[in-house]
Amino acid sequence: MKAAVAARSTGFWAEAWKRFRRKKLAMAALTFIGGLLLTALFAPAIAGTKPVLCRYKGTIYAPCLGYFDRRLEPAIFTKDRFRGTYPRNLKEKDPESWAIWPLVFQDPYRSVRADEWPGEPANPARDEGRPSRRNLFGTDQAGVDVFAKMVHGTTIALLVGFVSMGIAGTIGIIVGAVGGYFGGWVDMVTSRVTEIVMCIPTLVLILAVIAVIEKPTIWHTMAIIGATGWTGIARLTRGEFLRLKGSEFVMAAKASGAGPVRIMLRHILPNALAPVLVPITFGIASAVLLESSLSFLGFGPPPPTASWGSVLNDARSNLAMWWLVAFPGIAIFLTVLAYNLIGEALQEATDPRLREARK
Amino acid sequence: MSAEPLLAVSGLETHFPVRRGLMRRQVGSVRAVDGVSFAIAKRRTLGLVGESGCGKTTVGRSILRLVEPTGGSVRFAGIDVRATHGSALAALRRRMQIVFQDPYGSLNPRMTIRAILEEGLVIHRLGTAAERLERMQRALERTGLTAAALGRYPHEFSGGQRQRIAIARALVLEPEFLVLDEPVSALDVSIQAQVVNLLVELREQLGLTYLFISHDLSVVEYLADEVAVMYLGRIVEHAAADALYRAPLHPYTRALFSAVPRIDPARRSRRIVLTGDVPSPANPPPGCRFHPRCPLAERVCREVDPPATVVAGHTVHCHVAARELEKAGGDAETAAATVADMMARPLAGTLVGGGDS
Repeated sequence: MKAAVAARSTGFWAEAWKRFRRKKLAMAALTFIGGLLLTALFAPAIAGTKPVLCRYKGTIYAPCLGYFDRRLEPAIFTKDRFRGTYPRNLKEKDPESWAIWPLVFQDPYRSVRADEWPGEPANPARDEGRPSRRNLFGTDQAGVDVFAKMVHGTTIALLVGFVSMGIAGTIGIIVGAVGGYFGGWVDMVTSRVTEIVMCIPTLVLILAVIAVIEKPTIWHTMAIIGATGWTGIARLTRGEFLRLKGSEFVMAAKASGAGPVRIMLRHILPNALAPVLVPITFGIASAVLLESSLSFLGFGPPPPTASWGSVLNDARSNLAMWWLVAFPGIAIFLTVLAYNLIGEALQEATDPRLREARK
Repeated sequence: MSAEPLLAVSGLETHFPVRRGLMRRQVGSVRAVDGVSFAIAKRRTLGLVGESGCGKTTVGRSILRLVEPTGGSVRFAGIDVRATHGSALAALRRRMQIVFQDPYGSLNPRMTIRAILEEGLVIHRLGTAAERLERMQRALERTGLTAAALGRYPHEFSGGQRQRIAIARALVLEPEFLVLDEPVSALDVSIQAQVVNLLVELREQLGLTYLFISHDLSVVEYLADEVAVMYLGRIVEHAAADALYRAPLHPYTRALFSAVPRIDPARRSRRIVLTGDVPSPANPPPGCRFHPRCPLAERVCREVDPPATVVAGHTVHCHVAARELEKAGGDAETAAATVADMMARPLAGTLVGGGDS
């Protein structure tokens, strides 16, 4: 006791991370999700037909940013009538120019034409487009490269999970915390609202909203998944708050003069967060799956937005094009599996009961 | 005992509603505390004893308004505790602190000891950062810990050390009054003595007033000036500690005392084993609350709630004890001996030859 160890000890999350890190499968899953994140971030540099960087008429441009937002594509290329075809135009209009190209010269939104890249043929279409050296994952009905589509669709696969569960987590934690902490009629109201929302079939609601809205985007889908997917989180949070509000350390905080906001944020929430993170992780997985099913049914983000589900949708018209099923299918499967593995490991790393049981 | 008591509790009631059904209608109430009165003078310690579920913990929490009392009055240093709100209540809570039974449950596992100790100081805006640190160090040193504990988390400490931290948290606000809610019950026997001695030391050094809640009669005997015995939400007997231990008048007190293991054979008594369970506080029996389990119960006990009988500062709520007191001319020891004899008679309830525990 007397040893003057003034250093700050490891806290709960550092301990949990230590335990999490020991799980090889979960770490592999985390690495996979990290890889997806990088893929989404650098998608235009991995697959595209726009230079990552180029020097044109004395200035350096990054036309690849146009894949994130069309407005980010430098105006000069529109003015000079590039029409999206960079390799030939760059050379013709400025012999001095140079460019750094994406790893794979394929476009996620259109088929690459013959001689677009000097000496290369056009993308094959329909069942001709099986995987090859030039089209790693094959091409779809219209001849669009599947690999490029999937690389660019990673953004949506990630966004759907994080945005919808971000919304759901926020609503769920607030509703559950308020109901569980204050109890009485407040709890009665929040619990009934939760139960009502629980009854709403998310898929049907999304289909209905998409039918009504003039220009449905992926953001509408995410908002609806978030607005209906918080019920489980709310119930769990409520339970945790109910359990913890009677605990002696909360009593002690009250005796020290702490008000309800302080007690909820400083004392109960940090202790309730770990079990709540687990369903959020599983929720991300199911949101990814839901988006894919929507796209498969043809209600996904409208073209030309690329998403894994929309590749699957393409396969419906010709199942002989197995590569349209296999590659997005595997990607979706691995992503969902990864989130589930992470969720499970998170549960084990943060649940003190399981921890003691294994000792 | 002559000056105004620091804490005066009178007729305290804490009932918890029992709700059932879809509309959550109140169908009854659990009378956890049902008319409890006592006073504690400055620098004195009142021991509150009774078996689990008798409401002693609720008394402690009601005084600090950690649970809301439903009736009666609590006055602390002349201030009506039940009528204070907001900042006045917060100020009161700085002067009255509590130490809980379970040192594993009373410290937030996600906070460092520093954060735990500092919280009250931050809430009450006491001192600058440097002053707060000094106060925390002082509180830790008083409880036998060092400032090295500040950066660590509760799980790194043993039960005894945690209880010291809990005591330090109470002390850091420099209160006048402490509710000690079974502060040593969860600890190993060897550690219990250390913590009890620490509490005695702190009381002397800081001039503290204690309400010491416990089911451990020997600890209470060591620590308390006065002892109140609770049964089913009520105080059944209240006296100076030595008087109560010398001459327990209430049959329940006697049964309770007979359960204490004694090393000294001269103090061993026959063990009185009460039959039946404690009745539900949601539906307390009429008359004397102890009558269904009392070996001395008479008809009057079943019908009339026994009033307080006070002889020389010794209060007892019992018809039989009151009669014996009167016969003995107010001599508590003679009356207590008679009650003991009556309870020792084999016909009066189930008796077990004692002295073996």
